[in-house]
Amino acid sequence: MSSRQSRQDEILAKRAKLAELKRQREIRQKEFTTSRQSLDPGELNQPSPLRNRSVNRDGEDLDALVSSLVDRSSSTAPPGTPGTPSGGKSRRVSGINQPLQDEGASTPRPVRSYQDASTDTQTLSFAQSQTVYEIPVETKQEVITYSKGVQTNEGWSSPRDLSEEEADGVTRSRSRRRRKLSARARELEEDQIRQRLRQEIEDELKSLQLQDTVPTDVSRFPARTLAPEELNAVTSSSDFFDFVERSSKVIERALDEDYDVLADYALQSRAVDGEDDDEYVGRKGRRIKEVAQFELSEPMGGRRMLSDVDFSPKFPELLAATYTKSAQSPHTPPGLLNVWNLHLKGRPEYSLHATSDLLSCLFHPHHPSLILGGTYSGQLCLWDTRARHQRTGEPVQKTPLTGGRTGHAHPIYSLAVVGTQNASSIISVSTDGIVCAWSTDMLTQPQEYLELHSPNPSAYKTDDVAPTCISFPASDPTYFLAGTEQGTIHPVHRYDRAGAKAGIDARCIYRGHEAPVTSIHFHPSRGKIDLGDLVLSTGMDWSVKVWRARPPSATSSTISGQTDVVKPILDISHDDLVYDAKWSPTRPSIFGMVDGGGNLEVFDVNASSEVAVGRARPSHHERDVYARNLSLNKLAWEKGQGKHVAVGGLDGVATVFEVGTELGGVESKGDAWVGVKKWVGRQSRGIMD
Amino acid sequence: MQQPSPSEETQNLLARLSQRPGVQSTLILSRDSGAIVKSSGLVTPEETVAENGEPIANGEHVSGGAEGQGSRKGTRNAEEVARLVFGFVKSAGEMIGELNGVQDEAKLLRLRTKRNEIVVVPDAKFLLVVIHDTPPA
Repeated sequence: MSSRQSRQDEILAKRAKLAELKRQREIRQKEFTTSRQSLDPGELNQPSPLRNRSVNRDGEDLDALVSSLVDRSSSTAPPGTPGTPSGGKSRRVSGINQPLQDEGASTPRPVRSYQDASTDTQTLSFAQSQTVYEIPVETKQEVITYSKGVQTNEGWSSPRDLSEEEADGVTRSRSRRRRKLSARARELEEDQIRQRLRQEIEDELKSLQLQDTVPTDVSRFPARTLAPEELNAVTSSSDFFDFVERSSKVIERALDEDYDVLADYALQSRAVDGEDDDEYVGRKGRRIKEVAQFELSEPMGGRRMLSDVDFSPKFPELLAATYTKSAQSPHTPPGLLNVWNLHLKGRPEYSLHATSDLLSCLFHPHHPSLILGGTYSGQLCLWDTRARHQRTGEPVQKTPLTGGRTGHAHPIYSLAVVGTQNASSIISVSTDGIVCAWSTDMLTQPQEYLELHSPNPSAYKTDDVAPTCISFPASDPTYFLAGTEQGTIHPVHRYDRAGAKAGIDARCIYRGHEAPVTSIHFHPSRGKIDLGDLVLSTGMDWSVKVWRARPPSATSSTISGQTDVVKPILDISHDDLVYDAKWSPTRPSIFGMVDGGGNLEVFDVNASSEVAVGRARPSHHERDVYARNLSLNKLAWEKGQGKHVAVGGLDGVATVFEVGTELGGVESKGDAWVGVKKWVGRQSRGIMD
Repeated sequence: MQQPSPSEETQNLLARLSQRPGVQSTLILSRDSGAIVKSSGLVTPEETVAENGEPIANGEHVSGGAEGQGSRKGTRNAEEVARLVFGFVKSAGEMIGELNGVQDEAKLLRLRTKRNEIVVVPDAKFLLVVIHDTPPA
């Protein structure tokens, strides 16, 4: 600070000096011109012998004037004048004085020709003088510049004057010549000096500015701080919200990264994580390890139930989970769909809302940014994570709630997307037996509308069918199985076929569950052997069943008019309600199921069709001493690698497990497929016998 | 149907961030000027007696437990950090501009030191800075 101040002072002083200089120059000039004008006013600007003569005549006066000036200037050197910072300058300044002394000491210069005279003399006198008298004049002050200021204006004429004089051979007094020489010298020197001075000042200013920029950078920070109102404006702008939303997500992801990229394995041996081996009994390849848990935070509303869960087909780390309305905070939106990221713990990547409890969700398999949700009110919602204002969480499209033939008016518990990349439709089914097919681009009106009616009303007194779950085989988008609250599973055709109308196929019925069917799932069958006719179903009768679906075109039994009753090829009795079961997307023999007791069990039909090969419970259940809300409602496999299983239930916590290499991962060997095929053959024969 | 207002939501996000284990301080700067919009875990001018005696209304604290953390850990001056980070981001931007052309820009800066890590997310209008302890490695 102080140095800056002093520099500013210096600059001020210099400016003052310049002003002073200018002023004095003006004064002198006036003096001079007046004296001149009195003698020869007309020739002031026209250097000529005539004028020289007049000058000569006036020589004595001038001498006096000049000497007085010089004397005065040296004497008037203000003691307090701020010293020029550089020694070079005082040297330069003093150099002007030297010609005087030099001239005075040395013999008169040789006479020169008119043309050369001015230039030669100048250079000679200067070069010598500057070197010789460098040191002693060092002490001299730049005061001399003042006197030079006087001479500048005259400079235009004086070189000629001198040369004329010398050419004329007119003898002058020493002081006179000195005067002349110095006048020339001064005139030039002064220009230089002025330039240098200017430059110096400029440099000084520049350096000061440079130095200033650093401090101002510091001082500008408070200077640029926002006023409270501004701050409010900024912090309540939607730009700001968006920014915080985005950037905090990025940072949290960055901080959540488990792996330390700077890990140095040479430095220390890490703690061997042997605890995993102890914790999970059984073979290592079959263990199931919890990798993440996603709990709802308070602002999203506590005490919601998780109603469905689905992994993104495109981004294996994304997981959608839907929730019912919050029992704790009724002001929060009833329907909530959170997209969780395995790399972002504790907060959802997206939080989407609906106006009614969400019961089902599905990532659109062909549009990774689209998410579908079915609500309790019968509305089908479509969210787009690309939507500009997804912060509000509103769906970009939703189906009408008007009833009639324009949509559902009952809860949608099950959704499916069938078709190909370019032509796909969304199939939704509500518990009143309505099946709708929608185009992704237009949800205002269903493309297809189908009412399901029970084929033999006498059995249930009404012909109502309440489908709770549907599943499409991988190979046929026109036909699906629907599990009902009555416990039967019906094949359903979307379109009229030869010998059958659209709707429930009366020729075939899958009977086995004695209570509502909670889930049904066709084998994904992406292998060497087609296992696409295997169906997995769960029911509230505490059982898991595996069926072999009849090909939809089979007409064998239609002749007799008898309903073909299909029995399961595998019936696993469980010790609790079974809510969901899904085939692994990659392993043909593996499926997972969740039950009302809060267990996730993984079965491998090749290993054992009675006992689960893997079993796990969400870790927060262990902490819950009262063992309430243990039930797990839904299960989803990660679709690409099949290594992760997400489960969720009544307590609204989504838990992701990683399964061991024997249960998950991409199947490389073909024997598993063959094994399943053989197993199916054995089971089928067993049923027959 | 009433939802938490956007500003509350933002506050919550920031509070969440500043309360994460290991996070020492957070700072939001305006991108063009470097003015402090929000900070936590740093000594702000109104907390210290400003040298020139004039208190500057600036850099309000993120609500919640960040206060306690801030007074405990906040040994750095918010403005100082802001200035340094701003300069860092600026020079990084220049480097990227010369390296990849002016169309390119920095998206994320992670600077790991022996003592901590500085994560900067530059955006069109703001910068988010988080200084946190690195896991012992």
